[in-house]
Amino acid sequence: MAEKPEDLHLPTTIVTKMIKDCLPTTCKVSKEANIAIAKAASVFVLYATASANSVAQKSSRKTITGSDVVTAMGEMEFDKFVRPLENSLAIWRRGQQEKKDLAAKKKAIATAMKDDEPGTVDEDNQSVQSVIQID
Amino acid sequence: MTDAPSTPTSPDNAALKMVSNTPIMSSSPLRSKDVLLPLARVKTIMKSSPDVENIGQESLFLITKATELFIMYLTKLSQRYGNDQEVEYSDLAAVVERKDSMEFLQDIVPRKIKYQEFLKMMEEEKDEETDLF
Repeated sequence: MAEKPEDLHLPTTIVTKMIKDCLPTTCKVSKEANIAIAKAASVFVLYATASANSVAQKSSRKTITGSDVVTAMGEMEFDKFVRPLENSLAIWRRGQQEKKDLAAKKKAIATAMKDDEPGTVDEDNQSVQSVIQID
Repeated sequence: MTDAPSTPTSPDNAALKMVSNTPIMSSSPLRSKDVLLPLARVKTIMKSSPDVENIGQESLFLITKATELFIMYLTKLSQRYGNDQEVEYSDLAAVVERKDSMEFLQDIVPRKIKYQEFLKMMEEEKDEETDLF
């Protein structure tokens, strides 16, 4: 699977925006510093992945889980990230559950609507028709 | 969010406090369930790591989030180590040199030396070698 070199780097425009957003507007960032931070972030992804993967492998698992990542942060000496990550994970899981619930609801409505289509014989329609019939 | 028990005055703790206590807009990456970095790209980078087999959806999300936190943390630290007007490459290199947790970046963000210092270093190494024989 051939990968272009830029595929292994995070998009600099997005990183630059993040850098700007967390600094006061009066503070500038040199172009060189921007590029270096973006590069550092890409390397961080690799480092974090390798750490989380080794946590998974120690538990004889082949899939990296969310909790492997949290454990890895501690091993990488980024304990301070643990709380914010756990919070984000909780919010994300709730969002995923809401999506599932919404999808399930939509499906239920779609199925119910199908049952009400004309031509379908059901008890309700029959009783209505028998009331309307005029002999 | 309770803070870890450590001196509140050291620059790195203050920087982290800034990150975790910054008034958060609902769209801010710290609170939101959304991410700013593209998940697909992060996944590509993750897959390039040797020995990685399967990547769970939650882990992709968390690594992306952690990277966003990392970017903010590194940026704020660099601002504190340097002057408050501009963040320069040398500020980043200083952070990488001084913080244990940033050791993995030593080859990525090396401290830059002037060419003359480099020449001097080479001279000193040569002298050491000639002394051996």
